[in-house]
Amino acid sequence: MGLDRRGFVKIVVGGVAGTLFTPVIWKSLDDVSIWSQNWPWIPRLNKGEVKSKAALSKLCPAGCAVKVKTVGGLPFAVVGNTANPLSKGGVCPVCAAGAQLMYSPARVKSPMKKVGEGKFEAIKWEDAEALLVEKLTALKGQNGKIAAINGDETGSAGEVLSGLLAGLGNSGCYMMPGEKFVAEKGVKLMGGSGQPGFDIAGSDLVLMIGADALDSWGTTVANQKAFAATRPTGGVATAKFVYAGPVLNHTAAVSDKFLPVPPTATAAFALGLANLLINAGAVCSAPDFAEYKALAAKYTAEEVEKATGLKAESMKELAALIKAAKAPLVIAGASFGQGAGALDFVAGASLNVLLGRVGGGMTLLPAAPKAVAGAGASDKDAGSFLADVSTGKAAPGVLLVYEANPAYALPQAGDMAKALGNIAFKVSFSTYMDETASLCDLILPAPHPFERYDDNLNPYGVAKPTYLAGKPVVQKPVADCKDPVDVLLGAAAKLGLSLGFDTYADVIKAKAKALGADFDALVAGGIWTGEAKGGSLNLGASALAKVAMPKADDKTLALAPMSNQAYGSATLATPPANLLAVRDTELSGKDLFVQMNAATAKKVGVAEGARVKLSAGKGELKARVHLNEGVAPGTVAVLLGFGRSAWDEFTKGKGDNVYKILTVSDEAGTGLKVWAGSTVTVAKV
Amino acid sequence: MAHGATKEFKVTWGMVIDLDKCTGCGACMTACQVENNIAPMVDASNKMRTLSWMLVFELSNKKSGAEAEVAYLPRPCMQCGNPACVPVCPVVATEKNEEGGIVSQIYPRCIGCRYCMAACPYHARYFNWEDPIFPKGMEKALSPSTSARPRGVVEKCNFCHTRFMEAKDKARQEGGNPEGLADGAYMPACAEICPTGAISFGDVKNKEHKVFDLAQGKDAFRLLEKLGLNPQVYYVSKREWVRKLGDNYAATGKPGAAKKHS
Repeated sequence: MGLDRRGFVKIVVGGVAGTLFTPVIWKSLDDVSIWSQNWPWIPRLNKGEVKSKAALSKLCPAGCAVKVKTVGGLPFAVVGNTANPLSKGGVCPVCAAGAQLMYSPARVKSPMKKVGEGKFEAIKWEDAEALLVEKLTALKGQNGKIAAINGDETGSAGEVLSGLLAGLGNSGCYMMPGEKFVAEKGVKLMGGSGQPGFDIAGSDLVLMIGADALDSWGTTVANQKAFAATRPTGGVATAKFVYAGPVLNHTAAVSDKFLPVPPTATAAFALGLANLLINAGAVCSAPDFAEYKALAAKYTAEEVEKATGLKAESMKELAALIKAAKAPLVIAGASFGQGAGALDFVAGASLNVLLGRVGGGMTLLPAAPKAVAGAGASDKDAGSFLADVSTGKAAPGVLLVYEANPAYALPQAGDMAKALGNIAFKVSFSTYMDETASLCDLILPAPHPFERYDDNLNPYGVAKPTYLAGKPVVQKPVADCKDPVDVLLGAAAKLGLSLGFDTYADVIKAKAKALGADFDALVAGGIWTGEAKGGSLNLGASALAKVAMPKADDKTLALAPMSNQAYGSATLATPPANLLAVRDTELSGKDLFVQMNAATAKKVGVAEGARVKLSAGKGELKARVHLNEGVAPGTVAVLLGFGRSAWDEFTKGKGDNVYKILTVSDEAGTGLKVWAGSTVTVAKV
Repeated sequence: MAHGATKEFKVTWGMVIDLDKCTGCGACMTACQVENNIAPMVDASNKMRTLSWMLVFELSNKKSGAEAEVAYLPRPCMQCGNPACVPVCPVVATEKNEEGGIVSQIYPRCIGCRYCMAACPYHARYFNWEDPIFPKGMEKALSPSTSARPRGVVEKCNFCHTRFMEAKDKARQEGGNPEGLADGAYMPACAEICPTGAISFGDVKNKEHKVFDLAQGKDAFRLLEKLGLNPQVYYVSKREWVRKLGDNYAATGKPGAAKKHS
């Protein structure tokens, strides 16, 4: 029987229908779609139990109390610790990237010894520690020959460093710049002592002069939480926030009022406000009130307007707001957390005295007990020290650098890096290959915060004495690293010194005990708080007499470095995960954008996108221009955190480093080195 | 789903973002990247190639001096009630048919045609131009929540859908109702991490959830409401200029008003 046409059509139709009904074709298509996306180079997810462990993340300057989520023991995410009263469940954008930063390509993977210009070889820990001990032994007992730079102002590691140096007959333990240092000097000028604190949560009007309190000043996350508590979504705000500073920054964006004040005029602005408040009837019992009143009278709103371009009317409105507030608070600081003078601080803090808010809004913290006997005060600044090194006034043979990056993050950074070259043997205790580590002779890798014990006493800004501590989240560090304090304590023992401890954990336990805190509760994510001390302050009138009204200058612009916490800090380049947050109006390819308003740009003769060169001192910065109406007149704003010359492919060579063009000057009357009021010349290229 | 129709669900997960509380810090963007295993890019300034499931925009009132104001606007996927992206997908790789109203994205089905990207007026969808290559070792820090996507597919925010499933599982284990999760039981990574609590999250149809009232507040608005896509993400701002920017299609929202694209 042959196949007729009907039979053929039946077979074809039956076949097609059968194919459509069988799952084979659809299953195959599905498999193809899955397997065509299933390549060996697509990373697979980690399996295991998901847990959450409390940790102290000191990746940001203030430190965040967080919880680290782990899968099969490996950290993968950071969430807030809602039980911790400081962070209250918030996390800053840097600590949010903490787990990924454990695997940063910039991590120093093992001890390294310099073997040539920019060349290092990996060495064993025992050799590295022997080398350190050998160098220290050679200079033991010669004061000035061994120095240390410390970039961690809240950890007890500083005490160990300082105690070790003292044991070696040296007193050169220097701090990287920060607000705490300057504020304590300011408090002294006002007849008090101790670290000032600020109770944002207990205030109904917070005036931030320069201080970028909701992004990078003080305990940022705690500040943000205090701010948020006054702003119930959909409800009525219970406090007002005002930002007076050079740039409409993250703090200003959510404040009720923004007053553009150039960084050169912070103190003059505060005194102008004092004048308006006194005229409106403010009085106080401080012994120098009459002197202060006479001084403030020179700063009329109109005079301040002439010097800063800030409308007198705006200042008068602000004075009325302050007058109407029941619990106002003034916080003064540099817009980028360093370089302001003590007078800037005093001018702001004097308003708290005038308003009767010392003890309430502004507090003073008592001196904290020390765990390490022989540890000195941390009141010497690293910038002045390196300036002395460059002129030969200081000539150390060994420099220990702990959690600091002076080659990048000190004003006139180029000169600072050169000064480091004058020191024969430099040791860096760093987690990452930063600019300073890459100039050192020995790099001793430090663990990531999730791999180590650490503590955090009185981060600047807290209203009450506050202590946090953390323990490792992981059993074994990712790199071949050792806790720097353990290394220092080991070296001390080999040098015949006893600091009383074998490990950093022991130091922290002793510190907790001295404070009356429970170590176990602290490392489980808890907190210890004490009480602020009493005491009054005067208005600092005799110091403030040295404040000068800023003069407008046609040739230069005020330089306002701008901090954005997500973009990293002095000791941390932008985390790879945070590069996404950098706007293309801030960085495009390798070009950094500096910002100024249209009127300033016109004055300088540049337009949007123009290439410019900013110069000051011996430093130069190349960038392009982005117009931003939120920048104060006569001011150029430059983002911090770019222009890295070390680190990794994610950050190296992108943009330029604003620290290069910050210039240091001596503050009148206080002798402090200041650079928040730096000026620059801007030229088209 | 027929074009132009809003599919109703008993549970409608939504966000209410308080723009007067957002400082623009970017923690939400970082948390989103971490949760969803988005590989870092060496040149993230090329915004045509980046993957920003959550993106914080900067808005300006275009004034200067003391009059100048900026606001930050975090933009996740709007999980539209009537999504423009769903009907244009030729392979049904994106759907809105699960209780909760989250618009799905099914990577193995996606053929990378990018019609959905063209259709989405919020630019919330991103095309994977590169394979997800993490720096050596960083794959050990991958979140177990979200598979890494290969190049050639489109991806977007899904309100951290794995967290939704985990919350339902937890409710089942604890004898609760997985279809009626308590306020806060399910929270995307961005809302959880936000240090100012600017992002509220919950079921906008459930009176016991905070977002129910917030979404109906007098200062609440949605982006490009006039397009009729019925987004499930709401914004709140007391600032009128910010609310106005929320719908830049028509200047006044009244018939006959000048159309203004920007």
